[in-house]
Amino acid sequence: MLPYRSKLSVALFLAPPLLLYGAAVLLPIGQSLVLSLFSWDGITEMQFVGLDNYRFMLTGDPVFWRTFLNQLGYVAICLVLQLGGGLVVASLLASLTRGREVIKVLYLLPAVISTVAIAFLFNRVYAVHPQGLVNGLLGAVGLDGWERPWLSDVNTVLAAVSTPEGWRFIGIYMVIIYAALIAVPQELAEAASLDGANAWHIFRHIRFPHIRPVWLTTTIMATTYALRGFDIPYLLTNGGPGQSSELVTTYMYKTAFTSTNYGYASTLAVFIVVECLVAVGLLVAMLRRRADA
Amino acid sequence: MKKLYRSLAALSALALLTAGCGGSGGADPGNVDPQGKIEPRAISWLLSRPADGAVITTMEKLADEYAADHPGFKLNLITTPDRPSYIQKYETLAAANKLPELFDTDATPFAQKLAEQGRMMDAEKLLKDLGLYDDYRPSALAYQRFDDGSLYMIPFEYGAEVFWYNKALFAKAGIDVPTSLDDFPAMCKALRSAGVTPIAIDGADQWPLERWIAYQPFRTDGPEYVKALKSADAKFSDPAGQKAAQWLSDLGSSQCFEEGFSSVGYTDAENLFTTGKAAVYNMGTWELGALATDALDPSIRDDVDFFTLPTVDGSATQPNEYVAPSGIGMAVNAKTYDPLVRDFLQFALTRYPDEYAASGALGPTSTEPKIPANATPLYEKAVSTANDAGEETIMPWDTQLDPTTNTMLQQELTLLVQGNISADEFVSKMDATLEQNAPKYFK
Repeated sequence: MLPYRSKLSVALFLAPPLLLYGAAVLLPIGQSLVLSLFSWDGITEMQFVGLDNYRFMLTGDPVFWRTFLNQLGYVAICLVLQLGGGLVVASLLASLTRGREVIKVLYLLPAVISTVAIAFLFNRVYAVHPQGLVNGLLGAVGLDGWERPWLSDVNTVLAAVSTPEGWRFIGIYMVIIYAALIAVPQELAEAASLDGANAWHIFRHIRFPHIRPVWLTTTIMATTYALRGFDIPYLLTNGGPGQSSELVTTYMYKTAFTSTNYGYASTLAVFIVVECLVAVGLLVAMLRRRADA
Repeated sequence: MKKLYRSLAALSALALLTAGCGGSGGADPGNVDPQGKIEPRAISWLLSRPADGAVITTMEKLADEYAADHPGFKLNLITTPDRPSYIQKYETLAAANKLPELFDTDATPFAQKLAEQGRMMDAEKLLKDLGLYDDYRPSALAYQRFDDGSLYMIPFEYGAEVFWYNKALFAKAGIDVPTSLDDFPAMCKALRSAGVTPIAIDGADQWPLERWIAYQPFRTDGPEYVKALKSADAKFSDPAGQKAAQWLSDLGSSQCFEEGFSSVGYTDAENLFTTGKAAVYNMGTWELGALATDALDPSIRDDVDFFTLPTVDGSATQPNEYVAPSGIGMAVNAKTYDPLVRDFLQFALTRYPDEYAASGALGPTSTEPKIPANATPLYEKAVSTANDAGEETIMPWDTQLDPTTNTMLQQELTLLVQGNISADEFVSKMDATLEQNAPKYFK
């Protein structure tokens, strides 16, 4: 327990970031809430419309539901790549004895490259004219039938725009999970293997339960980041073809800045906030229950 | 993403601040010759043009000359060449009532709202008062006008949009230049059988494909169709719209455009044509420098020619009427208009045509461009074709429709041409979107 004076100084030092957070995050959310009750094009007068925007979003706007489903697909692909990929790489890394640092840096590299560069890169990777890496490789191994314009095909485009985002952050989650994995006491694993447990058992019953708190944090991080995913799909396809790769975020952006429908865009923004809160709530509840079980 | 929240936050803050004071114009948009002393200061031009393009380099030169005689004057050029980003910036500034002295805009419904609120100077009055109005090509001005004929933007460029084609590839496929729009599907099939990509298109930017939906209605019904369509007085399901949708669907099934065109960008599309892989490339005379000079690959240099938009049976418009845009226009902010802005515009706009023509580009006035020394004979042919363009011009639909309908149209067009939806599905979806959004926007 800290003495009174230290408590005061802690509070004092905590206040500035809290104020900053309030001004930069909470205030805008509040303002979006207010604005979502209006119809406004930016230059003529604002009109109070009550909950009309919400009613339209939930019952009258097929595009919204399409973008919501796309967003879920996007999140799923990102999570599999980031958490699954991160876990696999981290486990392999933990059992490696040499060259760990080099591999870590290589995996982390994409996370520091600008999104715009990554979007350009993947535009080339997927291209047909001139032939990109993916189609080139498929051709080289005799899978010509699989060659396709990945970003133009309505069946592949969502996966194609999600992959770069997932790939990009594998390194970050790999580093976090790796740090947790090497903190697992080695004696436990050794004892288990003496008792006849194989590698999978050791991972399943010893290592993974040990890193569960870290796993929860990374899952929350990855989920909220993916729910807010925007730039790569926007730059790669601008939501197209049709609405095949339109996300709630890109739709919100277009509604605000292309359609100048700021009221409805705020409604979508509020939805994204709620969506993130619900997702985090569900994750916490789910993982807590499993921990209790 | 954080940025987005921040911009939305800024916007909502603005909303609260500016609520109820929407149309604050300031000066009188018709008072083009305000009295008073010319007091040099720095003025800004928010623009959407390539930074090293002829418009900017010419205007920078003129501004420097003007500043030499008027110490204290400076022209700040704030350019965002990427059109969607530019529009976002410009609309946000308009919402904040913080537009600079000069700003670029197309004759969009949004710009019309600004004009109605008295926030832009009457360009026709201004040009007449400066004694420059008659120098402009009528079609260049027509492109900048709103539907009611009023003029609030000044053009700085001019171009005719034509179909560049490769004569050798046409000969290989055994076909002639199409005489009717309805010949296009057959043309594409013949070219495909000869192993050639028929038409190279920049699908990533969406506006090039949107031109194609405008062609048929402009020929069958004239320019009136889109004017009625945008306010939902006409429908996509009217005969003109139906025919256009079916035509695009046919172009798609005849494999007119390169595979995966929707993610091919401007440069890649042009490369398909300039490397002789594609037979046709629908683009404006602003590409003369690349397509009609020795900058073009020698292997296809002599094979390149062009034809203008074909007509159809019973065409409502003339063969010399097609897309002849004068580029994004420049509006003059009424709130900050004063004797200095007028004096600078007089100086710059008077000198502009000669300076700009020296760069070899087609300008918005009748001043002839100086044909560069390395031009092919095609250059001169293109210039004279553009000079003969009729007064009626196809207004690109992306500057006409309300933004929500426009976004939907661009997305659905790709699906239509890719064969993901039928012409009927396209028409009914577009009509639903139009009905939902147009009346709100044009009320």
